Amino acid sequence: MINGNLKSSYGSDERIVNNGYKQAFVYGSFLCLAAFALFANDYMILIACQVGILLVAVVGINILTGYTGLISLGHGAFVAIGAYAVTILHNAMDGIVPDALTALIAIPVAVTITALIGIIVGLPSLRVKGLYLAVATLAASFIVIFIVENETFAGYTGGVVGINTPVPNLLGWELDTKREMFIFISVSAVLALLAGQNLFRTRVGRAFIAIRDRDYSAEILGISLLRYKLMSFALSAAYCGMAGALFAYFYARILPEQFELELSLELIAAVIVGGMGRTLGPLFGVILIVLVPELIKVTASVVTNGDTASTRIIAPLQEIIFGLLLIFFLLKEPLGINHIVDRLIRAANRWPFARG
Amino acid sequence: MGQFLQFAINGLMSGAIYALIAVGIVSVYKATKVVNFAHGYLIMFGAYFYFTFAVIVPQAAWAPAWLASWQPDWLVAAKADAPMFSPLGAVLDWVSNLPRIILGISGAVIANALLGRLVERTLMRPLMGQSIFAMIMVTVGLISILSGASSIIWTADAAFVPHIAPNTPVRFSIGDTMIFLFGADLVNMVIALLLFGGIVLWVRYTKSGIAIRATAEDQSTAYSMGISVPKVFSRAWVLACTTGAIAGAILATRNGVSPTLGLFGFSVLAIVLLGGLDSYVGVFIAAMSVGVLEAMTQWKLGGEWAEIVPYVAVLLVLLVRPHGLMGSKEVERI
Amino acid sequence: MLKIQDLHLSFGGIKALKGISFEAVPGEITGVIGPNGAGKTSLFNAISGFYTPDKGSVHFDGRDISGLGPDRRAVLGMARTFQNIALFRGMTVLDNIKLGAHTRLNTTLWQALRYFGQARSDELALRRDIEERVIDFLEIDHIRKLPITMLPYGLQKRVELGRALAMQPRVLMLDEPVAGMNREETADMARFILDVQEEFGTTILLVEHDMHMVMDICTRVVVLNFGEQIAEGSPEEVSGNPAVIKAYLGAAA
Repeated sequence: MINGNLKSSYGSDERIVNNGYKQAFVYGSFLCLAAFALFANDYMILIACQVGILLVAVVGINILTGYTGLISLGHGAFVAIGAYAVTILHNAMDGIVPDALTALIAIPVAVTITALIGIIVGLPSLRVKGLYLAVATLAASFIVIFIVENETFAGYTGGVVGINTPVPNLLGWELDTKREMFIFISVSAVLALLAGQNLFRTRVGRAFIAIRDRDYSAEILGISLLRYKLMSFALSAAYCGMAGALFAYFYARILPEQFELELSLELIAAVIVGGMGRTLGPLFGVILIVLVPELIKVTASVVTNGDTASTRIIAPLQEIIFGLLLIFFLLKEPLGINHIVDRLIRAANRWPFARG
Repeated sequence: MGQFLQFAINGLMSGAIYALIAVGIVSVYKATKVVNFAHGYLIMFGAYFYFTFAVIVPQAAWAPAWLASWQPDWLVAAKADAPMFSPLGAVLDWVSNLPRIILGISGAVIANALLGRLVERTLMRPLMGQSIFAMIMVTVGLISILSGASSIIWTADAAFVPHIAPNTPVRFSIGDTMIFLFGADLVNMVIALLLFGGIVLWVRYTKSGIAIRATAEDQSTAYSMGISVPKVFSRAWVLACTTGAIAGAILATRNGVSPTLGLFGFSVLAIVLLGGLDSYVGVFIAAMSVGVLEAMTQWKLGGEWAEIVPYVAVLLVLLVRPHGLMGSKEVERI
Repeated sequence: MLKIQDLHLSFGGIKALKGISFEAVPGEITGVIGPNGAGKTSLFNAISGFYTPDKGSVHFDGRDISGLGPDRRAVLGMARTFQNIALFRGMTVLDNIKLGAHTRLNTTLWQALRYFGQARSDELALRRDIEERVIDFLEIDHIRKLPITMLPYGLQKRVELGRALAMQPRVLMLDEPVAGMNREETADMARFILDVQEEFGTTILLVEHDMHMVMDICTRVVVLNFGEQIAEGSPEEVSGNPAVIKAYLGAAA
């Protein structure tokens, strides 16, 4: 039980991991990740990689929707842009740039491209609020997918049938197994979370929150709405671009349909379910959004013994449960899983005294 | 010129259908301030209900034979006399289908109205007075539920349904150009326009329409003036779902019934924003213009380019006019 | 310092301001008074850049700032509070006040993402600065970690003043700083406002209904009625002005 929270310097008061429990949690998580990379079986690695990739994107959405209060229903398109940009860059640099360097060039360039496109798509956000932006981003994502699928650009994108993706090589370390990819993905995801948390200890992150809570009040403090909304948009797009790059490296082949509306909805749903505007919200949300459909699949295959007639309903069932989950949280726990966890920790802290 | 006119008319015909779909989104927005992202999927349900009542039910073993194909003696006789592929033949075929078309339309309207009421009562009502964001995201969740449910209930295959009107070819000339149309498309357009106009007049002049407008202005004031806001909410949803059922039936006859019908909702959403969310007139203009633009794109660039026309149009218009063509600007008090 | 020249503002057909001209006394407190609906808040909104006037100009430091948005004006050194408290309700007192210092920091996005290094030392310097200059000054150290929603009205008003002070403004505009407060709270707030003026030499522009307070602390008073400027002068001059008495007490007086 934590009794006092007394500090002797402003520095220690500004720390986030400011007590033994939090330190234990953070270092414990790192240990768990390392142990996971060593001992988990292939199936678990596969699922964990999916979680990691989505997490990077969802941290970005959290910055945009959770902290800045701008809704996007089209961020799946930015994941697509990241994935395709990395693939196309690899193909373009093939034979020109040494393999050991290609990924190190391709990733930052792809992320930058995604961020720039993010700024363009974000332009309507300056003039309009809320749902206009949601529809604008939705429209933009349809256009992006259309361009990817279109025959005119099929030479670069592979069109509707998709394109094979490269194997990343980081300064000679070829990530050709899923386990190696897991290490890369989990390091990226941890860094993404960390950077996302850091942001909100500084004036940039505070400005985002200020815009979300009361935009005219933010303006009166000298925060340029134009600059910060675009910054938030570019940043969230960059996160999605990074997720896209990981996506391309992780899977052997990418298809345009993987980045359609469904992905965009998953991203926003993960933020809402996990807890908007909370550091660990994306983590909780992504785990739930990935695990629940997986659980349905596993249960269904056990129950039906692989009967084809009933496997037909697995995909729609996953869709329905996904929608129900989203609606359940909106109706019953709008602050998300993070809030449930907060309550549990508080109760544990006060035990054996009254819960509350 | 000839081609241009032909495509323009085709465009106006699909524009009218867009307008009919849009009227549901606008009405729900006006009454509840919620943009219904799932409207396209409600329309898809309308289409599937039409398919159920116009195809599945009449073909069921227990259904009377006249329901599937009505063949009274006079009709059989008339058919025997009619020349092959003549307009009269098409009309007579339509008459045989009439029982199941009527069952289909009325079944779809009733079933969809019930669905709308269910959605409003279970998902929207609990959030009344809370954040609009949550309500909008609930409609987003509804997308997945409706889309998953439809593929479980009806399987995911595309299927065909009877036309609402005799699908006889119509030829006429404007100036020296021949225009070629299908009768069913023409009737669809007329139905869509009548419904659109009817709803606009209803909202403008009837008591319940005025209640919707008052609620749109200020929910709590409307409530305190004796208007039952929950009733207005549910009325708006039912209205959106019934017009959606008819729009769905029409779409089903044009494109066949398939899960992709839900995506129509998104292009119409783009059109609605283009026109200005709370303005029937603006939305009508937008629907017609996008219909024509799509037809022109189809003519000049090919069919697949037409599908992104509404999205490109809405992005361009929002940059110049953030509240759409005729939407009202929200004035903020500080 | 702050000069308003012939300001006209209208909403549709309603003329909210009709030719307002005055100058805030540098380093002193200038009061703007007037009956309800006189256009005081509209005047503030026009000065801080939310409304674009139809005619007239706002000069700051001899520079015409009429075309600038609110955020640009804040960068120049203009701060304000709102009649109905525009704090960020979900945030703590500390974060609200830190937000006030936004324009004084230079942390870039890159530094923010890394945090350790420049961003951290910026933040620590800021923390020390606002602790010593704002939180101690306004005597709100006991509530610094509390979210705004948990504070009583009077303290919220004080935090909003603190947020404006964190900007280190050269002109501070206070929109009804003691509205809805009891006598004791009003006296506290008046003392803080005087302290700000004395300690930092800030030019203060004040909209207020509480006549006693205005007469006590202002060196110059501008009186508005139905969008028109009916009087300007020292508190004594204004309180003896027949037009002002008429506006406040009706024609018979």
